[in-house]
Amino acid sequence: MYGHLVRRLLQFVVVLLLGSVAVWGFTFALPGDPATVLLGADASAAELAAVRARLGLDESIVGQYLSWIGHAVTGDLGASYYSGQPVVSDLFDRIPATVQLAGFAMVLTLLIAVPVGITVALRPYSVVGRVLQGYLTAGLAVPTFWLGLLLIIVLAVRLRWLPASSDYVPLWENPAGALSATILPAAAIAVHTSSVTARFLATSLGEVMGKDYIRTARAKGVPERDVIRRHALRNASLPTVTVVGLQLGGFLGGTVVIEAVFNYPGLGRLLYTAIGERDYALVQGGVLFVVATFLLLNLLVDVFYAVLDPRIRLT
Amino acid sequence: MSGAVNGVTAHRDATSVAPDPGAGPPVLSLRDLVVEFATPAGVVRAVNGMTYDVFGGETLGVVGETGSGKSVSVLAALGLISTPNLRRVTGEVLLGDVDLLTLPTAELRRRLGRDVAMVFQDAISALNPVRRVGDQIAEALRVHDRTLSSTAARARVVELLGLVGVPHPVTRHDQYPHQFSGGMCQRVMIAMAIANRPKVLIADEPTTALDVSVQAQILNLLRVARQETGAGIVLITHDLGVVAETADRVGVTYGGRIVESGDVTRIFTRPRHPYTAALLGALPRLDSASDRLLPIPGQPPDPSELPTGCAFAPRCPISRGRAVCTEARPEPVPDGSGASACHFPDEAASLLTAQADDPPVDQDDPGEPDNDPAPVLDVHDAVARFPVRSGVFARACAWVHAVDGVSLRVPAGRTLGLVGESGCGKTTLARLVLRLVEPTGGRILVDGDDVGKAGRSQLRRIRRRAQMVFQDPYASLNPRLSVGDNVAEPLRLQGLSRGQRRGQVADLFSRVGLRVEHADRLPSEFSGGQRQRVAIARALACAPGLLILDEPVSALDVSVQAQVLNLLADLQRETAMAYLFVSHDLAVIRQVADEVAVMYLGRIVESGSVRRVYDDPRHPYTRALLASVPVPDPVGRADRQRVPLGGDVPSPVNPPSGCRFRTRCPIATDRCAAEEPPLRPVAGGYTACHFAEETVGLAPEVPA
Repeated sequence: MYGHLVRRLLQFVVVLLLGSVAVWGFTFALPGDPATVLLGADASAAELAAVRARLGLDESIVGQYLSWIGHAVTGDLGASYYSGQPVVSDLFDRIPATVQLAGFAMVLTLLIAVPVGITVALRPYSVVGRVLQGYLTAGLAVPTFWLGLLLIIVLAVRLRWLPASSDYVPLWENPAGALSATILPAAAIAVHTSSVTARFLATSLGEVMGKDYIRTARAKGVPERDVIRRHALRNASLPTVTVVGLQLGGFLGGTVVIEAVFNYPGLGRLLYTAIGERDYALVQGGVLFVVATFLLLNLLVDVFYAVLDPRIRLT
Repeated sequence: MSGAVNGVTAHRDATSVAPDPGAGPPVLSLRDLVVEFATPAGVVRAVNGMTYDVFGGETLGVVGETGSGKSVSVLAALGLISTPNLRRVTGEVLLGDVDLLTLPTAELRRRLGRDVAMVFQDAISALNPVRRVGDQIAEALRVHDRTLSSTAARARVVELLGLVGVPHPVTRHDQYPHQFSGGMCQRVMIAMAIANRPKVLIADEPTTALDVSVQAQILNLLRVARQETGAGIVLITHDLGVVAETADRVGVTYGGRIVESGDVTRIFTRPRHPYTAALLGALPRLDSASDRLLPIPGQPPDPSELPTGCAFAPRCPISRGRAVCTEARPEPVPDGSGASACHFPDEAASLLTAQADDPPVDQDDPGEPDNDPAPVLDVHDAVARFPVRSGVFARACAWVHAVDGVSLRVPAGRTLGLVGESGCGKTTLARLVLRLVEPTGGRILVDGDDVGKAGRSQLRRIRRRAQMVFQDPYASLNPRLSVGDNVAEPLRLQGLSRGQRRGQVADLFSRVGLRVEHADRLPSEFSGGQRQRVAIARALACAPGLLILDEPVSALDVSVQAQVLNLLADLQRETAMAYLFVSHDLAVIRQVADEVAVMYLGRIVESGSVRRVYDDPRHPYTRALLASVPVPDPVGRADRQRVPLGGDVPSPVNPPSGCRFRTRCPIATDRCAAEEPPLRPVAGGYTACHFAEETVGLAPEVPA
């Protein structure tokens, strides 16, 4: 267990470093010169050179990376090319909004996925089971952005139940407001992710229900409800935990399309805008943050795995 | 437990009779149970009128081959079949005077684990991997007694673990199944089953996945469990030896029903159903080598198309095409202590004696080799180690000594039987011969060619001369290729044309007793025995001089196993191939081998001729192993005192110093820990024991 986690932690560091190189390299490889974008096509060569010097773009590539990563380690991701604000503060402005949306989406995902997955696994041939299987297929097939637009048109524009564009309302300041502001984008995301999660859960639960130890539990006289709750679900949750961890990582990285559709002020929209403006410092910092979050969640999933499964914990 | 129950048990042990009126009504009765499944091939009637009674304090052995309905019937009876294609379960399952089949699930569950408990095969997977072993036993208690506190449950569980022989029960209580060996898991299962002192204990193949020494421990434990609870035990098994050792009464299943039942001694000495008699004839014996087994021809019936008459008629040696056998299904006719579902029960008994009198089929014993010919296989001091990786950088921190300095020779036309418990390295050794595992040291010569030093093309040539047959014919054939193409694969590699291949495949098929016109079928259309014939045909395709048989009959039923063993014997007589025959089954090895080598923890502890090793074993391990094997002869079983080997095989990662067997050896001394005994000539064979000369003076079985 200990060795396993230390190994994972080392992997985490190595992958993060490699990821930082990739993040940094990708933005470099993008066409378009930020100085030109900033100053417009009519800028003189001298003006361009001045801006490049200010942004540190005249250094060598390696030198730029090293100074960037060196600062990044100390929590300084540089300044936005546009606003001149530190990237870190720009990111931190948006993180609460993204965390809130991710949390809502995850809760919704699980609220849908767990009962649906269990029902599909246990009663695949019942009417309800078949209907839910249809939902799973539809949920996977429908594009999230289209569903988001549909929700806006029906619930916001036609029925006027909910706001069409979502502002960030902190949950602890105004729970009802936060709910109404976040529920639509969260639902649009959750339909897709819950279909994935429920499928995983249904498959692994269906498999677990055929295991010998389930038969043993029944033969002991354990009521069926407890057989599922105490014996089947914990075993079946193992593969599902991986998927949920990956999804949560995706949410925290910013659900770019949905945030754009709902005009939600999260990380995704920040990055979306930054890419359009070729604000490399912001893109690099933002993506690095996303990568780090994703890797960290993966590490947590591994730890959680060990908690759930003694075969990992004790070897 | 109650004296009355013990009294009944003792009485029955003494006289071994059938349902004793004094035992009262049966604790569990199956009445005309029918279980059907819907499959794409049509309705499959897996159980077809299963009827039997179990009485308190007795052990009823239900014995039969795969697919005979012996397990499905109890699982269906207890509502434990959850496959969606279960079509119907009819008949009666009387627990006391309640018919379990009429109870709603919740009601039924209230009785499961309390009045009737089960012990399953393969205990490791029958325990929940993510829950503590003690909690799983406690659950059996608490689900039926909601008032039981967790501390009281814990105390009772620790007591139960001690009762079933789990050492350090307090520590073990909080461990997980993967920290237990297979035998220990089965003890846990038994603790769980007897926790509520059930009236009926159903053990479904409880020892099938276990080594013989552990099997003997578990069978003893079941006896203890019966005494402890007074329960009636239903022991479901395919192993006639296990039944003969432990059962009071026996029911023999075939085609989804009991075809014969009766007192255990009577069943084994005077069977009244030809299937029972035929089964006994097909069984390799540990106590007396027979020249040739008498297999039951054909295959077990397909439950999707059971014949209208007697299900056994197509394979029956006494039916002789009589119309009544194929037209009318024989109903069980009670006779004295049991019943036989045969139209001619009296003829069945004569079958057994007739078989015994049969002159052995011409067994031209290849005879003792006049001079020691060059061996086909010569293994010298072979070593195979595997790294155990752990830590942050997955460095090899320890080594599994799978094979640790083994030497053996197999001359042409002879069979070397390699026998040992799981984990002793016998399969690794078999794989070393073809370099399917890279050797760590030693030298292996096939026909004089060094396998370890061979380059790619030479290795390919060697592998053509030495072929392998694997244990599981379901996994060792490519399911996407027709059986003909599977067999032709080695020929294709040799560059034979399509036409030549077809001709040779036809020839190979007829040699192994398969029908040539089936060559285009897929492996899935064949039974296990037929598939193993296909695998043998494939191995023969290159006309090898050496056949390595890795547990080739372990996955097969007794009647089919005998067919395959006879086939192998015939092939060897025709071609003078050398066989390296690996098996855990001592009786099978005795049947097929000329020479035997007994392996323990990567080393050969004893070797020699079959006669020497089986009749005059000098190594305490060989002696204990032979004493652990259940003998399919209930007569005089009370006199056979057996003290099974204690404990499990130690880990090959860190084998004991000196003699590796010393940790389980009843005669070990300090010398055994300090000094590793060499394999040295003793009494015409070889034995690796410091005290090989003295073991012969010991009682046949190790005293308690």
